[in-house]
Amino acid sequence: MTSYWLLPPLLLPLAGVPLTLALRKYPRSQQIAALLVMFAALLSTLTLLRQVLRHTALTLQLGAWPFPFGISLTADLPGTFMLTMSHLVLMAGFLYAAGSTEKVTRYPTFYTLFFALAAGLSGAFLTGDLFNLFVFAEIIVISGAALTANADEPAGVEAAYKYFYISTLAAMFFLLGVGALYAAYGTLNLADLARQIASTPLSPLALAGLAFLAVTFFIKSAAVPFHFWQPDFHAAAPTAISAMLSSLVVKVGVYGFLRLTTLLFPTVSLLKTLLVLVGIAGVVYGGFGAAGTHNAKRMLAYSTLAQIGFILVGLGWGTPFSIAAALVFAFNHALIKAAMLMLAGAMASRAAVKSASFSVVVGVGKYHPFAGILFLLGGMALAGIPPLNGFVSKFLIFWSGLDSANYLSLAVLGLASILTVTYVIRAFMRIWFETNPEAKPKAGDSLLAPALLIALSLVLGIWADPLIVLAQTSAQWLNDPQNYIRWVIGSG
Amino acid sequence: MNLITALVIGTLFAAGIYQILRRNVIRAAIGLALISNAINLYLFSMGTYNGLAAAYTTATEQISDPLPQALVLTAIVISAGGFAFVLGLLYVLSTRYKTSDSDEINGLKH
Repeated sequence: MTSYWLLPPLLLPLAGVPLTLALRKYPRSQQIAALLVMFAALLSTLTLLRQVLRHTALTLQLGAWPFPFGISLTADLPGTFMLTMSHLVLMAGFLYAAGSTEKVTRYPTFYTLFFALAAGLSGAFLTGDLFNLFVFAEIIVISGAALTANADEPAGVEAAYKYFYISTLAAMFFLLGVGALYAAYGTLNLADLARQIASTPLSPLALAGLAFLAVTFFIKSAAVPFHFWQPDFHAAAPTAISAMLSSLVVKVGVYGFLRLTTLLFPTVSLLKTLLVLVGIAGVVYGGFGAAGTHNAKRMLAYSTLAQIGFILVGLGWGTPFSIAAALVFAFNHALIKAAMLMLAGAMASRAAVKSASFSVVVGVGKYHPFAGILFLLGGMALAGIPPLNGFVSKFLIFWSGLDSANYLSLAVLGLASILTVTYVIRAFMRIWFETNPEAKPKAGDSLLAPALLIALSLVLGIWADPLIVLAQTSAQWLNDPQNYIRWVIGSG
Repeated sequence: MNLITALVIGTLFAAGIYQILRRNVIRAAIGLALISNAINLYLFSMGTYNGLAAAYTTATEQISDPLPQALVLTAIVISAGGFAFVLGLLYVLSTRYKTSDSDEINGLKH
């Protein structure tokens, strides 16, 4: 059904862009305005979620053009689920930036670019049109790269160059895919495209389009053979931004796969097999990579490779249960990874030289026991130890694997997830238990945002029901692509 | 006409990929621009599957599909912005490292 509730979660961050630009001369009011606008966006997303729960799915044809000519915005349950996740974490990111001591957060256009990133994320999860997905993904890439290029860390420029270059190439692959699908079916609206793909036998052109789109999403989600830009980029970005990049921006690629495997090409089983293989490669490689790094932020960036691997495996198994597990995993990983990166950044800001390198932050935790408790809780969540939410997500993934009898991949996943415990404990020991004469008590970034995220993780670990029910309903909805098609077309 | 378009797109792609694989970062940036233009042409040619005439309402022949033209316009704007950004980053990198060889830009190796 048509609803205007879709607009505020997208338009509020978009309106934040000119607003913060206009306030660039008044840093204090800019900061307050940014926090208020983002909070309003979060509230509007929660309202949208309530509306979606009541009406199953909402669509809006922009400019009132009839379907399929107009640009449609679509909020079904999985999309809104991802949107809620991203707005929750974005709110924490804005809070962290407000309390951050990094110079980049005081730049006049920092919040402008941050809002552009937020708008790109909201748009990517709400759009019902393939080409708009490209546009929003480009907004994310450009704002993320610009923010990283301005990072306090001098390597930021190189990391931004690397990321921007690879992502632009990915975007070009996306356009190739868009062109192929358009030539084959004459439409780019997701619902219309899904309907036409389902009603005719797959043409070679459509398969070429699928291959191009898959490459794009592999690069976007930093799946393992396509990941080379990711650890550099996520480690060099300003902390508030790297928390968003590592928890939300990679999920855009995951979301793309969600749509590819359930809506556009549900019959192509090769893609699912590929997702499982790539996911397992990610889990193993990311685990070993994280265990071998000498920098806390870089370690967490590698750990993202592994966690994205778990989500891709869940999508690849492709049963409703495993998709629900993957959605829960994505949500929980966003909260945990953002909190952990913020904690690593906060410790780096308290070190003698500002760096997250283990040789610098070693022993810094001595004066910050509260941050230590948060880091331990976050680490337990990352490793999947109860009662944190990470346990729930890993448990669901393993259970869904048992359910669909994928014992071989399960064994690899199980062994690789032991690595998580290893590297988290190592980081914790180095920062909080080793002694370092150079570590002095020093004020740094505020711990409010990571504390809120960890508290939310704890709540979702003990009271996981609502999240699981939401994910299961989403997965059931995704199970039949006709649901999506019927809702969007019926409202046109 | 089809053959010429296909050949031009293919040549642009080949030149772009060759330049991307060079170690010189400026050549790599030019390669990116070449590929983005190849893709714009490719998208553009997707609209001509049922006719070549411009899509005026008064046209009497088979008109081409105007939608890819709108897509190309968007893609051109985005790639122009992206290219400017890449050049900006390269400017910073070249003043910092005094080189255009990507192997010597190695601040991230740690």
